[in-house]
Amino acid sequence: MKVKRRNMLSAEECRIVHEGSCRLLEETGVETENTEAKEIFVRHGASVQNGRIRIPRTVIEEFIKKTGKRIELGAKNARYAFTIESGLPVNFFGTGGQALYIVEKKDDGFEKRPAGSGDLERILRLCEQLENVDFVTRPVEPDVPDDEMDLEKTRIFLRSTTKHMNLANLIQKDKLPAILKQVNDRSLVSFISCVCISPLKLAGGTVEKFLRIVGEDIPVAISSCPQAGLTAPLSELGEIMQVNAEVLSAVILANMVRPGARLFYRGIPITTNLQEDVSPRWCQPDSIRRVSLITDMTHFYGIPCCGTAAVSDETEPTAQAVSEKTLSWVYEAAGGAALINSALGMLERVMTVSPEQYIIDDRILGAVKHLFDAYEDKPTSELAEEAVVQALDMFGLKADGGGREEIRSRIRFVETKREEYSADAVQTQIETITKAVLSGKSSNIFLKASRSGLRKGLLYSGKKIEGPLDLTEIERKKISLDASRDR
Amino acid sequence: MSQILEDIKKNLIAGRVDSEDEGFDEEMTGQPGVTELVAKALEENITPSDILTSALTPGMEEVGKLFEEGEYLVPDMLASAECVAEATKILKPHLVDSDVKNKGIFLIATVEEDLHDIGKNIVGTILYGSGYEVEDLGTSIKAQAIVDAVKRTNAPYLGLSALLTSTMNHMKEVIDLLKEAGLRDRVTVCVGGAPISEEFAEKIGADLYGEDAFNIIHKLENRAQAN
Repeated sequence: MKVKRRNMLSAEECRIVHEGSCRLLEETGVETENTEAKEIFVRHGASVQNGRIRIPRTVIEEFIKKTGKRIELGAKNARYAFTIESGLPVNFFGTGGQALYIVEKKDDGFEKRPAGSGDLERILRLCEQLENVDFVTRPVEPDVPDDEMDLEKTRIFLRSTTKHMNLANLIQKDKLPAILKQVNDRSLVSFISCVCISPLKLAGGTVEKFLRIVGEDIPVAISSCPQAGLTAPLSELGEIMQVNAEVLSAVILANMVRPGARLFYRGIPITTNLQEDVSPRWCQPDSIRRVSLITDMTHFYGIPCCGTAAVSDETEPTAQAVSEKTLSWVYEAAGGAALINSALGMLERVMTVSPEQYIIDDRILGAVKHLFDAYEDKPTSELAEEAVVQALDMFGLKADGGGREEIRSRIRFVETKREEYSADAVQTQIETITKAVLSGKSSNIFLKASRSGLRKGLLYSGKKIEGPLDLTEIERKKISLDASRDR
Repeated sequence: MSQILEDIKKNLIAGRVDSEDEGFDEEMTGQPGVTELVAKALEENITPSDILTSALTPGMEEVGKLFEEGEYLVPDMLASAECVAEATKILKPHLVDSDVKNKGIFLIATVEEDLHDIGKNIVGTILYGSGYEVEDLGTSIKAQAIVDAVKRTNAPYLGLSALLTSTMNHMKEVIDLLKEAGLRDRVTVCVGGAPISEEFAEKIGADLYGEDAFNIIHKLENRAQAN
């Protein structure tokens, strides 16, 4: 989908975030147990002080610039192949997640059960037939022992889809040559590496796998997913600075190993349910805002963006899920994320997928794409409101009165800046983050520091959009798609 | 109640550990927090027992009530629990000869191959603030090492945390090793973490599943009363 990109951060605000992230990398540094990574950093101008790798500004900026700007993603069916070029305003939507469960409609409601290999194949075959799925990222893992997982996953992908295959995480680094041999054409695959652990850490074992993937010149999305108030500051500025520093540290490392590395920047700064159980809030307006802000940073650097959208916090397909997913797609697409991962099928904060939800999401996405054309020159807020209204209407729900006001309230929240981006604010956040990483109990520091921000309304508090969804047509389509895949 | 005990309780409710804490009010920064006030109370010969029973415990009860009413959120609970934890550290040497009971050693650990410590850290602080002697074994701890710690400390409570589906099965490994070592009946095993559920806890033979720290504390208290 081609979009006219709409940024939420000004150029000056992007610069302020960049400055803050550079200071974090220079002064606080990142930690890793991986000796090879430390040696690589030091060889290229970083230093290790008190166990933390500190990267000078000049090194940061030198190696960010080297990142590959163009990534070709192949597919078994050539018409599904596509190219990502930094700066080109095109979105591609794909699946994602590492769900544990599958929830599916039965006679008396939705039934939840653990997901496995059979579900992986079924979902891939389902998505093969969905028009708005441009690429597939592993939705669930096969239920086989760890040392069989990589190759079994690849086998299932190869027989189930002709679209680009993002295999997500590499389970065992030594399996990479066998995977590449299995696929034969290495342009057919890419990976995601959850190499960053917030705050400011590169996970030792994952770094090894990341370096192998980079070494083989396979495209890889560098993922960091902090939770504001728990593993990052509740402050929007603080969280964006931190996640930016985390992803950049891996970008820098990759380019030290392989200049021109083909990387996607996948920062996912979400918030936390600080009211109840500290669970992640993936799809609330506060998270939608922050995930959209980080796409502006990817454009600032010219690094291809792998965004994340539509991971609903709901446990099954509901009106609330429809409304929050639609808002999430609009803002992520409007921000110009090239790949938009996890965009279909996901529920319960990445824990669950649903065959019905894939079909629902595919249908809504089609309408959202049309709206981007129709509303090209109108404010994003109008596009977003119309998108949510239309999405609910598809399933028999009219958004009027209180429902319409709730939609507008969420949109206002997404678009409203609540903090100043200033040198003083940057300093405050650097002090909080540094105190957290050096304390050994970072979650306690971030939680305590979030108290005033909570009272200033940094987390959205609104009403759920409720009402029964008419899924008759969805169920019919599910049956038809399941039957088609079996032929 | 003496003024200083009132002040300890008030600052505990505000979650102010020391004078650098602003609590809810930036104006409070610079004024004594719980640790300074507890130290002063001891200097004024107020007994540790009085400090605990007249200030810390009722303060934490008030915080619990505010949380249940939705007035206080998780960070507020944590800030107050930290106050109790830090105050308890100051009182500990003075409690040896007192009649205040320690609820017992509570070992906590994140299981092997799992580096997540968020839940464990929060739970540990709140347990400490509730009167348990918490020993945090850390993250990515092998099952045998956990069992060895149970044997070494004779801990009556063990809390296991896992955030990944790929690591949660190490919890069963710990329980099996406890059985082999003849320790299973001596320790209450509590499990928690994002992928964990009541069903999973039952399946692996854990004693309690905790959605959060307060849930575990309530369940332990109910168990103690039932026994």
